[in-house]
Formats: sequence, C-alpha cells, structure tokens
Amino acid sequence: MTLPAQVTYAMGYGLVGRAALWRQRRREERGIRARWQREQDGVVAPPLLASARMKELMSRHYLQARYATGVRKVAWVTSGAPVEILQALDFLLVYPENHAALCGARRKAVDMCVEAEHAGYSRDLCSYARTDIGTALSGKAPVTRIPKPDLLFCCTNICQTVLYWYRVLAHHFEVPLVVVDTPFLFEAAQPHQVDYVKQQIEAAIPIAERVAGRQLPFPRLRQIVASSKQASELWLAVLNRAQHRPAPISAFDGFINMGPIVDLRGEPETVRFYETLLAEVDQRIAAGIGAVRNERLRVLWDNLPIWYRIGWLSGLLATRGVSIVASDYTYAWGELAPMMDPDRPIESAAQVYLHPILNRSTGEKLRSMRRMVQDFHCDGVILHSDRSCKPYSLGQIAQRDRLANDVGVPSFLLEADHSDSRAFSEEQAGNRLEAFVELMEMRQ
Amino acid sequence: MSGPHVAAIGVDAGSTTCKVVAVTAEGGVAGWRLERGLPRVEEQTALLLDDLLRDHPVATGRVPIVATGYGRRLVRRAERAVTEITCHARGVFHATGHGGTLLDVGGQDSKVIQIGPDGRVVDFAMNDKCAAGTGRFLEHTAARLDVPLEELGPRSCAARREQAISSTCTVFAESEIISLLAHGVPVDGILRGLHRSLVSRLVAMVRTLGVRPPVTLSGGVAQNSAVRAMLTEELGVEVRVPAHPQLMGALGAALLALGPPGNGTA
Amino acid sequence: MQIPTRAEVIGAARQRGDRIAGVLPIHYPRALLRAHGAQPIEIWAPPRQDPTAGNALFQAYACAVVRHGAALLLDGPGRDVDLVLVPHTCDALQGLGSVLLDFVRPPQPVLTLYHPRGRRPADRSFLERELRRLGERLAEITGRHPADADLHAALDTEEDANDRLARLFRHRDIVSLSDREFYALVRSREFLPAETFIELADAALPHEDAGTRAVPHDDRPRVRLMLSGIVPEPMSIFDAIDAMGARIVADDLACGSRRLYQRTRGADPYLRLAASLMSGPPDPTLGAPIAERADHLTRRMRESGARGLLVYDVKFCEPELFDLPQLRQHLSAHQLQMLHVEFEPAATIAQQTLNRIEAFVEMLQ
Repeated sequence: MTLPAQVTYAMGYGLVGRAALWRQRRREERGIRARWQREQDGVVAPPLLASARMKELMSRHYLQARYATGVRKVAWVTSGAPVEILQALDFLLVYPENHAALCGARRKAVDMCVEAEHAGYSRDLCSYARTDIGTALSGKAPVTRIPKPDLLFCCTNICQTVLYWYRVLAHHFEVPLVVVDTPFLFEAAQPHQVDYVKQQIEAAIPIAERVAGRQLPFPRLRQIVASSKQASELWLAVLNRAQHRPAPISAFDGFINMGPIVDLRGEPETVRFYETLLAEVDQRIAAGIGAVRNERLRVLWDNLPIWYRIGWLSGLLATRGVSIVASDYTYAWGELAPMMDPDRPIESAAQVYLHPILNRSTGEKLRSMRRMVQDFHCDGVILHSDRSCKPYSLGQIAQRDRLANDVGVPSFLLEADHSDSRAFSEEQAGNRLEAFVELMEMRQ
Repeated sequence: MSGPHVAAIGVDAGSTTCKVVAVTAEGGVAGWRLERGLPRVEEQTALLLDDLLRDHPVATGRVPIVATGYGRRLVRRAERAVTEITCHARGVFHATGHGGTLLDVGGQDSKVIQIGPDGRVVDFAMNDKCAAGTGRFLEHTAARLDVPLEELGPRSCAARREQAISSTCTVFAESEIISLLAHGVPVDGILRGLHRSLVSRLVAMVRTLGVRPPVTLSGGVAQNSAVRAMLTEELGVEVRVPAHPQLMGALGAALLALGPPGNGTA
Repeated sequence: MQIPTRAEVIGAARQRGDRIAGVLPIHYPRALLRAHGAQPIEIWAPPRQDPTAGNALFQAYACAVVRHGAALLLDGPGRDVDLVLVPHTCDALQGLGSVLLDFVRPPQPVLTLYHPRGRRPADRSFLERELRRLGERLAEITGRHPADADLHAALDTEEDANDRLARLFRHRDIVSLSDREFYALVRSREFLPAETFIELADAALPHEDAGTRAVPHDDRPRVRLMLSGIVPEPMSIFDAIDAMGARIVADDLACGSRRLYQRTRGADPYLRLAASLMSGPPDPTLGAPIAERADHLTRRMRESGARGLLVYDVKFCEPELFDLPQLRQHLSAHQLQMLHVEFEPAATIAQQTLNRIEAFVEMLQ
C-alpha cells in the first residue's frame, strides 16, 4: 500500500466524500418532502424518502471504489456470487453488472457497448457484458471510475455468459479468476450438487486469502452472513408489502432501491437502510398511499427491468391506473433469506447460491410467477423478453401460454433489452402495452 | 475509334450497377462503361463488352477478362471470377498509388479493406446484410422525400440544423421521418441526420478494423459530398476519393486480368 | 466407402434390441449410453429440419441448435427416439432441456447432464457423481444393468474410435478424401456405433505398414485453412471451399476435434468416464482459459501449415463469440489470419457468407 493512495482514500472518501454525500442526501430529502407537499394530484407518488439514503450508500460505495487502488484489494464479482468470504477479507467489491445497469439507466450504456463492438465483440452478446468490456477496454468512465480488479470472482448461478465474460476479463487484466460453478437445477437440488458448490467455496478461500494477504476471520464471516440474512428478510418484507391494495410501492421502487441488497449485502448499514425503508412503506400503508394514485390494475413484471425506460414505462402505465406491484427479479434477493445460516456460513452458502430463480427450472419459475400473481392479486403479467438474458427469457413463451390459458391472467411478451436501447422500439412497445392494458380492462 | 490498344478487361457485375473497364498493357484506362444493373447479368455484361470493344479494339487475339461483383459467375466470357474485395483493393491501389484503408460504399453493401503497401488485401470487413449501412438507405429515403439523388449531398451540407434519426433500421427510419415531417422538421435537417446515421455505421465498421491512413472512399456513395465531409470529420483524417470511384472494382479486375505476379491470385 | 445412413443405424440398433437416444450437443458419455443398450444419434442443427415447431417455443435470438433441435424432436424424425439427452452445454441448451422437461413433456424420458466448468478435484468428483446419477436413470429407463466390466469394455471401444478420429485429423494431408468426404466420415461419429466407425476409419487411414508416405490426392497448391466452430452445415460448405482453391487441414469443431478425449485407465469406470470427458482440447463451453485456446489453435495451425482460421459459427453462440477478439489478437501476433462468419442452417449457404470466405482465401493466396 502506497502512502499517497491511503491518504487520498482517507481524504477523498473518508473526509470530503462522505460529508459531501451526506449533504447531498439532506438536499434530496428536502426536495422529496417538498414534492410531497406540492404533488397531490400526480399519477405517481413522489419517490420514497429512503431513496435519498440509498443513493448516499451506493455513491459512498462507488466513491470508495474510486480511491481503492493501492488501499484495498479489489474483487470484481457477479451479482449472484457467494461474496461473504470476500467481504470478510475486506475486499472492495465491484459489481460490473450494477455498473452496467447504472450506465443503462443514465443512457450511457450504448456508448460503452459501441466501444466493445469496435473491439470485435458481437452485438448479440449480453449488453451488461458489452458495457463492461467496452468500459474496461476504452478506459472511459461514463458514470464513475471503476478500479482494476486484483481478483475476479464469478458464479454461474445467473448464467453461463458470466463465465465467458469473466474469462475475457481474466485474459485482459491478467489476474486470478475464481469460478464457483453452480449446477443448474433442472429438478430439486441433489447432494452431489450441494457438495460441489461447497467444495468450490472452500477451495476459493485460500486463493482469496493469498490475494488479500490475510487469513479469513470466521467470526467476521458469520457476522456478515447474519447481516445478509437480516437485510434479505427486510427486503423480502418490503417487497411483500406491495401485496396490499393499493400497493404502497411499485416494482420501479424496487428496481431503484435494490442496489444495497445486491452490492452491499452483509453490511450493517444495509440492514438499517431496509429497516428505514420498511418503516416508510408501512407509513404509506397506514395513510392509504399507493405508488400509483388511482390504482385500478395490478401487474407482475417478469425478468430484468428496461433500465433506460423506467420513468417512461412507469408513467405510461400509471396514467392508466396500472401499477407494477411485483417483480420476480427484485424478489430473488429476498426469497432466499430463510436458507441463510450464520452458524453454518459455508454449508448454507452452498444451498443459497444454488437456488436463485435464474438457477432454477423454467417450471419452477412458472410456479413462482403463479404464486406471485396470486399473492399480489395481479390482473396481468408482462414478460420482458430480454434478448440479452437467455436464462431468463428462454421458456417465457411456454410460461406466458400457461399463465394466459391455464391461470387465465392476461400475459404478454415485451421484446426489448435491459441496457441496449438500440434493441428497443418505443413506438412498438408503447402500442403493445396500451393494447395489453385494454385487454386487462376488458376482463375486469 | 483509334487510341491505345486494349490488353485486358474487367467486369464488375454489381447488383445496383454494372461496369466494365478496359485497360492497356501498361494499366492505363482505355475505356469504360457503366449502367444500371439489370437482372439478366449474362446478357447485360455481354452487350456492354461488345459495345466497349467496338470503340476500343484489342491489341491481339482474345482479350483476357476477369469478372467481379455479385454476378461474377454469370459472366461466361470471363476466364476467372475474383471477389470485389480483392479487385477493389487492386483498383484503388493502382488509381491512388498507395494502400491504406479503403471504404467502399455501394448500393447494396459496404466494405472496409485494409490495403497493404503492395496493393494486397491485409484485412477486410463487410456489411452486406443490413441496408442501413449502404447507399440503399439514402436512395430509398431520398425517394420518399422526393429529393433527387444528386441534391442529397449539397442539401445536407447546407442544412443549418441536423435532425438526429434514432432508428437503426431503414424501415423504422422511414416511419420516424414521416413523423418528423408531420411535426414540421425541415427536410434538409432530416437529410443531414440521415447522412449522419449512415456515416456512423460506416465509421463503426472502419473502427472495428482500425483506421490506417490514408483513407480512400469509393463506390457510388463516394460522389456524395456530405458523406465525404462527415467521414472526414468523424474519422479525423482526410478522406480521399479517386477520380472514378464507381469503377474501382472493374479496374482492379482488369488489372488482375493483365496478370503480373503479386496481384493477389494464385 | 459407404457410410450407413441414420435410418439404417437406427434400424440395426432396434433389431438388436437397443434403444435410440436423441442427443443434443456437445459432450456426453457415449460409452455409458452404449453400455445401457442405447444408441446415441446426435442432433446438430439439421438444416433440412423445418424449425417452425422450435420457433414456436423459443425466441429468435435462441440459436438454431436449439430451435432446429426442438423441431426435430417435436415434429421430425426425433419423435421416434426412446429417450432424449440434453447436456448442459450453455444457456440456450439449458433452456431447451428445461422447457422439454417442464412444458413439452414428450412421451420419451428427457435426461440432462451438467458439465462442471473446470478441471479441479471438485469438478472431477462432481462429474463422477453426476455420471453415476445418469447411469442410474439409464438403468431405470432401459432395464439394463451393465457390470463394471461392460462399462470398461464400452469405454475401451469408444476410446479406440476416438483414437481413429485423432489419426484421421493428424493424417489429413494423406487421407485421400475431399474435404466433404472427410467430414462426412468425421461426422458419422455422431450416429454410427463405435465399431462401425472404426471399420470405416481404418479403411480411410493410410496403412501403417505401407512404408512410404501415400501421395496426397490433390497436389494443386491450395490455401490451407483451419476450421473452427460448432458444426459445419450445410455440408456443401466444403464443396464451396474446395471450389475456392482452399483446403481444411486442421480442425477445431465442437462436433470434431473438441471431442478428441484421451485414453483413460483405472478400476472405477465412472472415474474413467469423468476423466475422459475432462480430457478434450480447450473448449469455451467448459470454461477453458482463453490463453489455452489461443495456444492450442496457434500450435495446431503451425503444425498443419494452416495460414488462416475460418470460424464458421451458428448465429447467437455466446461461448464462441466472447473468445473471438482476443483469439484474433493472439493469432495476429503470430502472423495468422482469422475470418469469422455466421450462418443460419438452411439448404443453401448465403452468398454473402461465401463471398467473405472467398475474399479471405484470396487474401491468403
């Protein structure tokens, strides 16, 4: 560790950055409160007050990342990876998927994708991967500067694409790549699959320790798992509150506020954040406030969001009284909370990380969607056919068919991409959504 | 009727236009023909060849002919068929005297060719699946806007504002343009935006291969002053256009027919 | 050299009381199926199969291996197989396996096999147990319970066939077959019983005791290419390459060299099976590091005198597409060229594809 880097970290992040972000949060909260005063007739409720705190936490995380080189060891990790061991070793975690989603939301993803395409990466590849590879190769920082990794940590429970993508990164950065390969659950998980994941996590420890230059402290690991469990339970509770009529929060609130549960899971501040968020959601329920003012129709959203059109989609639907009350994507980070066991951190991790929705069968996903349609009292289902995400999208045609015909709930496939706006046609999507709304209205 | 004798002929049977070029033994252009491509490739090329040879007699006996382009295998009188990549490289190298990066934008396809210091192809990339990166894109939308082809470039250059076209597909772009016109956006601004879309796609293709100056532009679209200006602007290097940009393929084929070694064929 | 047709192989298998297994790409334990009396017939994006039934189940951005494969099973000759095996090769085949199991629910049992993406001890022990699980399912379905000796014998035979395949590739230059004939023979491994393949391969291979090297059947100067990708369809691609004055002298196809498993030893047949499946050349679907692939390809190109690598890919293949830019860089540093083209399986090859390949061949002359 070089002294200047430590100093910059302490000053830039510790002293100046954190204070600046705190002030920014206060400003945002004031702004949100003012909107609540003013906007009595808007179709959508003003943002949650807690979202200002979410931004502060996420910005702090990215600010730490910015100054991390030379101060902390950096690990780039996939969104479904068993990161607790890395957190316990005090790695600074970077989630390229989250960074890509941010780029998508800020409409900067296409520029980075183009950089990757110029380097020869096909447009048919996942837009998260192209955004990330384009950022790494070009050295540009459209949203924020990401530090180079000391370690790459990839878990295949979300897709195989991350395996190919992280191999590219490993070749480019010339750093160790740890793969935790989670067998796909065509059926219920079997002992040899659980053993395999457990062995891989155990084998990852000495590699991570070598890079970190320290030994894994098990008490800290248990603490982190306990915190993760708590945060996940709170997140699940927050999402489940949307079962209420009217739903106090929408799936858009979920997409916006999911950052901490994905990127900062395991930190005590994340637990406190979701406690605050839950309390605010309960206040809305008590006051009869819905995310959509005149909620008439409730919808389940399947698959990733369309990051660059969240506002547009929310507005278009809200003007017709349609609230997207549930998302199986945000739910994924809450529903596994019961499996987490701080007393058996590695054994339970093997189970937890085998079971995210993306690692479960297409039949299981249909069962989940049916359950959510029921629990959240949904009048329709929008299945985002995300061309970047095969594990999520393949199977949707059959799932839609069952939902529409067996369950009897109007469902339709919306062709788009989660980050690459070139694969999205606003006219087409808008038309189809309006027709879908009319269909739901007719069935009421 | 008299003049330098024809030693070889190149035929470029493209899908949009059909071209023949006759060269002397020294490689100078003795004569050429160009006309709109017709479906009956064999017939058309035969007529063009006969017409050319009537005006430009051959030196001795049978003249060697090499065919290139989409319909090259249908030119029965050709002794050999060679791809337009190899032929364009050869033609441009001869016409300009140097290698570098060649961007050829035709009616139905566009290609980037890295030409080595000896006129050989070093690398290439093609866009032949999507009209949005070809002359067809401009032609089609110009027709819809009722603007003559030769006015496209000048009017785009002169436009005061540029209207961005977001659609990546020719068909969707058309709907977008109709909508823009309905909202009163001036035609010239739309034209400029269309040119920008085309040029962006071309630049992406060039960047994928890597820019190695000097950069040459050939093909029918090379005559469009706006495309040339925008390419220069976006690539950051001067973009040169040879004297007869549409004839580069046929010229290259003719030079290959002449047959000296090191011309890219076995 | 007459290669039996799939229909003939299926007829013969049924006659001897065996079952037919429709198998999707890429890696699977042939010996395990054969030992249980199941003849594997592989399904590699057959171009003549109308994909409509597959298109109805899977979005356009799913590759043709999935869409044509699904159509063959639902609507084509695949309807008559006795069981289906879908190895977990990639996200697309994961989708196919899962949709077949949970939604289509065909009358035949659908089996899956998860390949560990590494070669660590944990991967090996997982694969061994995964193969045992597959063996148990096969026993349930077929009623056969092969002893260890039967498994060993089946594996020995498959390894003999692999050995022939390896020799065919190694001796490509002096095997008197055109590229099309050569690949018809190579690809017959996709459906022929190993014993039959061995006979045909022996007939085509130069005799070891011939003393002098056989004369290559074609001594025109040809541009020497290495062919990489998943599967070369339609097979007329080889006629086209031949007409362009080029020849395939080295192979990196998933249906070809990427399944050249090494010989194995040991008392436990399942450990042997696992070791075998983990012994092939670098394969992106199994997580091989890019540097290993790059070194392997470069070495093979040097050995065979190939100057250009033709990567001929089915469209939408992620494991193929991610590796290409870095592979190209590596090859370029060794003065080797690469062309990547994509295709959709159909009766004919797109002119644009042929054009690119031809320009590539001209460039290498």
